[in-house]
Amino acid sequence: MWELFSKLVPRSTVVVLLALTAAAVAGFVVVSHLVNRFNANQQSRGRKFYALGLADLNSGNPEGAVEELRAALSCDRSNTQYQLTLGRALRDTGRLDEAQSYLESLWQRTPEDGTVNLALARVAARRGSLDDALRYYHNAMYGVWTSAPDENRRKARLELIEFLLQKDAYTQAQSELMALAASLPPDPTLELRTAELLAQAQDYADALAEYEKVLRRDRNNAAAMAGAGEVAFRAGRYRTAQRYLQSAVNANPQDPKSRNLLASTNQILEADPFVRRISDAERDRRIATAFASAGKRLTACAQQKGENLTPSGGSSAESALGQLQSRWLDTKRQLPRLRFPGEVDVPDAIMDVVFQIEQETASECGEPQGPDEALLLISRNREGADR
Amino acid sequence: MSEMPVPPSPETNVADSGFHFRPRRMFAAFDEVFDEDRFFLILSVFIGIFSGLAVVCFRLAIDWTHLALLGPLPPHNWRLFVVPAAAGLVVAILVLHLFPTIRGSGVNQTKAALYIFNGYIPFRTAIGKFLCAALAIGAGHSLGPEDPSLQIGASLASALGRQLKLSREKLRLMAPVGAAAGLAAAFNAPISAVLFVIEEVIGRWSAGILGSVVLSAVASVVVERWFLGSEPLFSIPITTFKRPAELLAYVVLGIVGGVAAVVFAKIIAFFRPPLKALPRWTQYLQPAVAGLLIGLIGYFGAPQVMGAGYDFIDQAMHGQYAWRLFAVLAALKIVATSLSFVSGTPGGMFAPTLFVGAMLGGAVGGIERIFFPHLTASNGTYVLVGMGVLFAGFLRAPMTSVFMVLEVSGNYQIIVPVMVANVFAYVVSRSLQPVPIFDLLTRQDGLVLPSLEEEREEAILRVEDAMLPPPAIILSAADYIDAAARRVEDSTEPSFPVRLQPSGWSIVTRELILRRMKEGKGEHSLGSLISAQPLPSLFPDLPLDAALRFVQTYPMIPVVNRANPQKLEGVISSQSVFAKYGGPGRQG
Repeated sequence: MWELFSKLVPRSTVVVLLALTAAAVAGFVVVSHLVNRFNANQQSRGRKFYALGLADLNSGNPEGAVEELRAALSCDRSNTQYQLTLGRALRDTGRLDEAQSYLESLWQRTPEDGTVNLALARVAARRGSLDDALRYYHNAMYGVWTSAPDENRRKARLELIEFLLQKDAYTQAQSELMALAASLPPDPTLELRTAELLAQAQDYADALAEYEKVLRRDRNNAAAMAGAGEVAFRAGRYRTAQRYLQSAVNANPQDPKSRNLLASTNQILEADPFVRRISDAERDRRIATAFASAGKRLTACAQQKGENLTPSGGSSAESALGQLQSRWLDTKRQLPRLRFPGEVDVPDAIMDVVFQIEQETASECGEPQGPDEALLLISRNREGADR
Repeated sequence: MSEMPVPPSPETNVADSGFHFRPRRMFAAFDEVFDEDRFFLILSVFIGIFSGLAVVCFRLAIDWTHLALLGPLPPHNWRLFVVPAAAGLVVAILVLHLFPTIRGSGVNQTKAALYIFNGYIPFRTAIGKFLCAALAIGAGHSLGPEDPSLQIGASLASALGRQLKLSREKLRLMAPVGAAAGLAAAFNAPISAVLFVIEEVIGRWSAGILGSVVLSAVASVVVERWFLGSEPLFSIPITTFKRPAELLAYVVLGIVGGVAAVVFAKIIAFFRPPLKALPRWTQYLQPAVAGLLIGLIGYFGAPQVMGAGYDFIDQAMHGQYAWRLFAVLAALKIVATSLSFVSGTPGGMFAPTLFVGAMLGGAVGGIERIFFPHLTASNGTYVLVGMGVLFAGFLRAPMTSVFMVLEVSGNYQIIVPVMVANVFAYVVSRSLQPVPIFDLLTRQDGLVLPSLEEEREEAILRVEDAMLPPPAIILSAADYIDAAARRVEDSTEPSFPVRLQPSGWSIVTRELILRRMKEGKGEHSLGSLISAQPLPSLFPDLPLDAALRFVQTYPMIPVVNRANPQKLEGVISSQSVFAKYGGPGRQG
């Protein structure tokens, strides 16, 4: 053919170059067709493997998914989705190095991609690496999301908060929760979740505020009432707790947690000599009851520990319970002074002994029940207030 | 020498060819613009385009064959060893009956075309290499597509050059230009391809061809990326080099890689000649038996060693394997590749070399991290460096090996570890196996081709080696003849250097000075005796070959200082040059 061409057309540089150009264009057309066909085949094959891998992964068979996803990736090497899912499958099989390596390859190409950063954050979280997890979660929160960016960023932040709570990093979790609460859309479910997380992060005041926000919008929301009651209880705001817990129990009488908390709250409110709006006589009665209860608790705890607190019992004067017994006996002599109007320090002095006994016995013999539990909570609440 | 093409009669093809312009009026102006050199540069771009297209098709053919015969996942059944065996048989029949010139990798054949056959590579070679290598690699033989791509590119270029009736000089250069294009497209790495062609195919640094080689390589890579995307061969994980002390770890990797490269080369060099010498009927069976054995390796647990293995290198980089598996795969790949190669199955050594290096890097890195857990580099980093290490040690292309890793990884942080490890691998390999693998194969085929490695070994003779001290008498063109005669009359030297004004040197014989003196021309200046054309001058650092052009014409050549050409460093004569070439003190 070339010979024929050579005979017909004069051998000139221009003609040669034109012929070469024409041949190159023809080559491009043919190879384009071949490549497109091949790529279409490969992509179709890749999609099949990906579907199989995804099914395996979702059915809890990450090992099987890894092989299929590798095959999918070999069919379509540039497919980010395949690579991400392979990273996820590898993470689920516990091959964290490998998962991280694949995801980091993706990250190198698109360091701002929220999905990739979230996947890397999950690997880091699985490793328990706080620094890496924080970095990648933050990248995910501030990264680029192709769809539903606000929702995805919020989910990433929620994941980070849950991870921080697992790691007992309450301060960092609280600051993330503050940011989350500030950017929440008016969605009771999200607000409730945020309030729960705030409670887990021991930020009871903000948790209560978040629950109240839900209740302002939906005053019959039983979950919010129960949550508000619980966080108010944890915060030592027993009157508020009583109010919310009572509403929660009324709204849902089958809620045992709220019922128990309400019972404890009522007990505390009935036992606390420092609550407002009670008479002096009632206060003195509560102090005397608390003092007697503490004495019994001390004796019971000593028996549980095998110590004899009677003066002839041979209890070591050095033991903590023995010292408390001595203090309790000394204080008992001051009880009659409760009635004297000028003895303003006596109630505090008596209750200090009560609280000390409750705390020490809780530490030595375990958490108490009934009135002693109420006294212990009052003591902790006052301790928190003092701080 | 069955692997080399039968050279055509140079007369019929190229001897009197030249590039014939038959200008018609309308094309005359263009033809004057495009002299052969310019045309050759443009042609290099077209060679790159055609090679790129061919290599894209070649890669598709390999993938298609693999998918059709073995499927996307390695099968765990009889197909794993029957397919490579059957493919080996088919390839053997094709090679023995239709394409006898396509055995082996193709690098040496391309080099032979350049140095022996005036750039002639039959077009049939491209077709045969394309079909047989695609079948063999796709069916699981442990070979790579890069060297065949190189030969396909060279063969296409050679065919194009012949059709265009280029001059012999240009036709000779077509093969390396096409080779660079083919390799660049196969590797998606133009710099490495250019360097490899210079290091291994051309065998010397030549500025004359560099432009064409670069143009063709770039054009082919552009075509390849156009169709297959600009993704590198591997998706490289984050590779780091933080602490200089960790270079010691890479030194160990370099040494181990150097030893492994020697073992690999020695296995091939040992088994190839006896297998080639077996009766012809066995040539039908050798690739089939090799395919069967490789398939059995795959069947019994190591399918990673089958084919080019790029997917598995990729997985290794991402930390899929433990060090024991890395080591086993490196050893098995050496065995599998040796089987494929010595059986005469067409296919390349690049991919297997990278595979072995990658696995070795992973193994060494894994072991080092057990003993030194504080090492910061990931296993992927060792895998990447390992690839370059074996490339430097086995193929003995140190420059290419460094740039190849850089181009493949796109990460310059890793350059120092790569250079350190490669240098150690290269030095260890060269000291244990002085002849590089490609030279070894060439010699086994009965050919002697030049190489950069040889040049590196050779001590170059320079002018200063044959230079004699400056003569005791140095004359000046401004001297009077009677004064000059007084100085030279008692001398035994037949001739003397003369310093010209304002610059340059000449020479005058004693006999001429004395004769002019007798003729009564003593008051004339010496300049009147000597030719207006100064003598050629040499510099001490020039190769001694440069002196050969002049020593037969002039009895003495001045050797001058480069900073001050008026200062005579010495002289050189035919006797001193020939004594150096033939004398007992000759080096090299």
